[in-house]
Amino acid sequence: MTGPATLTAPRAARPVPRRGVPQAVQGRYRRIKTLLTVGLLALFFVTPWLRFDRGESLPGQAVLFDVAGRRMFAFALEFWPQDLPLAVGVLVLAACGLFYATTLAGRVWCGFACPQTVWSDLYFAVERWTERLTGRDSPLGRSVRSALWIAIAVVTGFGFTAYFVDVTTLPLRLVSGTAPLGAYVTVGLLTLTTWLLAAYARERVCLHMCPWPRFQAALLDRHSLVVTYQAWRGEPRGRKRVPLRPDLAAPSLEQLVNSATAEGTRGDCIDCTRCVTVCPTGVDIRDGLQMGCIGCGLCIDACDDVMTRIDRPAGLIRFDTESAEARRSFTPARITWLRPKAMLFATACLLALGGIGYGMSHLASVTIDIDPQRNPPFVRLTDGSVRNDYVFRLAHRRGHLPAVTLSVEGLPAATLRAGSQEGAGASTLTLPVDADRTAGDRLLITVPKGNVPSGRTPVTFVFTDPATGARIGTVDSYFWGPGA
Amino acid sequence: MAVRERDPLTGYLTTGHEWDGIKELSTPIPHWWVSVFIASCVVAVIYMWLYPSFAITEGYFPGTLGWTSRGQLKEEVVDARAAQAQWRQRLMAVPLDQVEQNDDLRRFAVTGGRAIFNENCAPCHGVGAGGQIGQFPSLLDDDWIWGGTLADIAQTVQHGIRNDDADSRQSMMPTFGDMLSAREIDQVADYVLTLSKPADDTSRAAMPGAAIFAQNCVACHGATGDGNREMGAPRLNDGIWLYGGGKAAIVRQITHPRMGMMPAFGAKLGEEAVRMLAVYVHTLGGGER
Repeated sequence: MTGPATLTAPRAARPVPRRGVPQAVQGRYRRIKTLLTVGLLALFFVTPWLRFDRGESLPGQAVLFDVAGRRMFAFALEFWPQDLPLAVGVLVLAACGLFYATTLAGRVWCGFACPQTVWSDLYFAVERWTERLTGRDSPLGRSVRSALWIAIAVVTGFGFTAYFVDVTTLPLRLVSGTAPLGAYVTVGLLTLTTWLLAAYARERVCLHMCPWPRFQAALLDRHSLVVTYQAWRGEPRGRKRVPLRPDLAAPSLEQLVNSATAEGTRGDCIDCTRCVTVCPTGVDIRDGLQMGCIGCGLCIDACDDVMTRIDRPAGLIRFDTESAEARRSFTPARITWLRPKAMLFATACLLALGGIGYGMSHLASVTIDIDPQRNPPFVRLTDGSVRNDYVFRLAHRRGHLPAVTLSVEGLPAATLRAGSQEGAGASTLTLPVDADRTAGDRLLITVPKGNVPSGRTPVTFVFTDPATGARIGTVDSYFWGPGA
Repeated sequence: MAVRERDPLTGYLTTGHEWDGIKELSTPIPHWWVSVFIASCVVAVIYMWLYPSFAITEGYFPGTLGWTSRGQLKEEVVDARAAQAQWRQRLMAVPLDQVEQNDDLRRFAVTGGRAIFNENCAPCHGVGAGGQIGQFPSLLDDDWIWGGTLADIAQTVQHGIRNDDADSRQSMMPTFGDMLSAREIDQVADYVLTLSKPADDTSRAAMPGAAIFAQNCVACHGATGDGNREMGAPRLNDGIWLYGGGKAAIVRQITHPRMGMMPAFGAKLGEEAVRMLAVYVHTLGGGER
């Protein structure tokens, strides 16, 4: 798209917009970025293949979102829909963590860990590799590149789907056409979005689609480390052969820092535009902090390399505070941990962590519902006894519970019976728990003629494990008799 | 005439027209947008051709695919039936009294039975199957008029009570208002009321109604008021009264008996549904073996 870049007068000698892939660069931040890209991709693709033994009737995949079963497994943990408040805690933690990191060191998330950055980086690497092999405009190279991109997109779609369907059988089921429709849709959708976002949209996502750059300004302050161009030593820009500014060239820099710049000299920036050609979003960091900068530090690597070659101190572009310009120092500022804004976000993170910890330690391992049947509230039997009916449902996430024993407290001489059983019932009732770890039946509680209470009587259902006798849970309910 | 020139500031071409020195940049709609718009128009035309799309003077244009929402529903019902087929076959493959022994089968029958019950039975017997005093019997208690085993319940559901079905349950309580005097009816009502009071067991025989009961009622309701399920004669000694347990209600029932009737559901619902209903009602709490 060729649009009007700006309606104000353009800067002189503005570099031509980048075409194609950003140039490769070596250095400290490139190494960190490569490590993180490889590590995060490995984390994404390997996690579904980890196994965790949960016994016969449960899936053996360590991390699995079981959509049909409405539960999620993460190693020894299992989550149910009612645990959703924990997800709120996780989201709050993620948001505050992002705010915290941004306040301390700018958009490090965007530059190093965001999926858009990680996958784009992978696609850039593929494109550079094929261009190196076949030359920039070779049709063969472009085809190989596109094929590899699509292959990566398909694998990504599969990798995402593998979090929802058992990964060991998924490839075969996908190929044989027996996988659920949702699996095909998910693979297709993720393939399409991966390809669109990483091969086509790329930095446009960061520049036009992502909301995050819009409010990062609210989180940055004069103490935040951001990628900065040290204009005080870079300007005025000039060719390498133009003599260096005397204050920079002088042996005792600090003494001469404030002296006037001589005519016909240049600063440290030789205007090689390396910092622009390596930038994944194609911004010119020398224009100052801007929305397009994702804080990846690749321009720092590029510039440091150039500074070393022209025998000047590195750090013309560096992670520093915005106030560095006024400070005019060759030593960058450090992260300021102890300041109110950063500590506020750190506290919020700790609170969210505490909330998650509290929630995790209070996860109910058994959920029991007792649903009194109130139509009619009670049933009179031929021998004068009175019966109340309940529907109960139990679901548990304990290791092994083949059966559960029920008794009722607060109702003398009451007998219990399941709807599927016949006869008089007994004071306790043992029911089987299914392989899917649920139990449920109609529950009939009968009180003989002499003991029938009048009106509403509070009762407590007690559930115990018949193997150990340990109490699993209790539920309070009511028993209704005739009269007020 | 129109001379298109490139604007030096933005790099755009102008439209080539000039109005009092004012030129306009040519900023056409992007090609992709136009393509999508045209493609949408093409899709719309194809859609109108394939599906019911517009009214004509009488009726509507049905589309070449012949699609209707009713037809789609029909197909979905067929699919749902096919998905249930194996369960329905299993339900019919075992003897009725063994359905409840199999947990999966019982669950299928109870779940399906509940749905069928709410649609066909709840209007009279209530959503909770508690019946309605003076009208329809409760299906929750153990007081069965025609029997509470699975086979009895299935028979009742299949053929109904006092209807035109050849196998429907039939019986009739005579109109004693024509046969007994008001005084006699009053006396026998007093006697019937004592049947559900064990305290009166010894004194009951001396009551004036005892002889009238023995003469007129014992044949169906039994000497101790135990009832007779073969005849659909309800128990009189359990304190559960379908048409009311006060003396006035009993007098009225003897004088002008009311007898419930129930449609035969077998022909309407089919044998599988009858089985599911029977199992559902049987597991509500009053089922007998």
